[in-house]
Amino acid sequence: MDTKQLITEAKARFNHNSAKIYLKDKYESKLSIAYQGGLWVANIELISFLKASTQDQIVVLDMYSNPIKVNRIELLTKLEKTYHYVMDQWHIEWASLEKKR
Amino acid sequence: MTRGVLLFAFNNDKVDYYAMAIATAKRANKFLNLPVTVVTDKTTDLSNYTYQFDNVIIVEADRNNLNASNEVWINKGRFQAYSLSPYDETLLLDTDYLINSDTLLKPFDLYDDFMCHNRTSFLMNTLHGQELISEHTYPTLWATVIYFKKTEKAKQIFECMEMVQKNYSHYTQLYNMTVGNYRNDFSLTIALRIVCGQTEDHIHYIPWNLVHVGKNTIVHKDTDTSYTVIYDNWQRGKIRKEYCTVSDMDFHMMNKENFMELVNE
Repeated sequence: MDTKQLITEAKARFNHNSAKIYLKDKYESKLSIAYQGGLWVANIELISFLKASTQDQIVVLDMYSNPIKVNRIELLTKLEKTYHYVMDQWHIEWASLEKKR
Repeated sequence: MTRGVLLFAFNNDKVDYYAMAIATAKRANKFLNLPVTVVTDKTTDLSNYTYQFDNVIIVEADRNNLNASNEVWINKGRFQAYSLSPYDETLLLDTDYLINSDTLLKPFDLYDDFMCHNRTSFLMNTLHGQELISEHTYPTLWATVIYFKKTEKAKQIFECMEMVQKNYSHYTQLYNMTVGNYRNDFSLTIALRIVCGQTEDHIHYIPWNLVHVGKNTIVHKDTDTSYTVIYDNWQRGKIRKEYCTVSDMDFHMMNKENFMELVNE
């Protein structure tokens, strides 16, 4: 890299909008899990539904709209674990990028 | 059940695709812990390279295609992936796909026999929409990352890609495609539609975006898995340099020279 390019690039501003989209692309892939014969996204809607239900065995539509009979508690445990792990990492990286100028 | 990565690498006068395949293979070994097989042609002088692939398969290259810069672009014959792959479960990757994480292991856990990306995003270029194979038709499916098992369905899809490739001028007219050169993305889009009875079955789509880095975006390496991405944002007739830092995320580099700079550093 030559000096002219270095100076030009030193003036570059951090694009927070692009950073947010990059984080979304990166961490959304980590929220998808295959479990009990279905593909699931560990999101608040599914976790809330599983928490609010009372039956042990329950039929839920997976990401590809297949009705899958699942063990509610096992799936909930797996989804919660995935959700918290991924969202914690997402938050840490977002907080660090937020400070950039 | 054997698993591995398959790469197609045919050198032309400008680009050393075999060297790119070696760089991608090393990263597949490191991040995915998978063996890599390369498909190339007899014009590649293998004595120039020291890396040991799991397998090197020599085929007859079809040189009958040009890229946008009117250079020979040997991208035909990708349909042979099904018959050439020595693995039961294969990840078929473009050589300019930069692996920085173990995300690509996920499709092995999913239960389908064929998957590819149907959605993309461009790093730094947030306004870039989804590409269609032609106006008022289907969104492009991407052959950059394909996961397949050796099943009858996957075989049909690759056979259909062969049929589309061999009758490409017909399909160009049928779908009113404006791009004249052959693209695997387009033949994949048409083939998957045909095999699925002209319906859209989301089960074949990898459930996250394929991230592209466009030709006008420059990537600098910070560490082995983190990068600074610099982009010229045009606003009111002026260029504003903007940057973003990314880490542990795989992406598809459209700028081949930049890709080689990153992997050679």
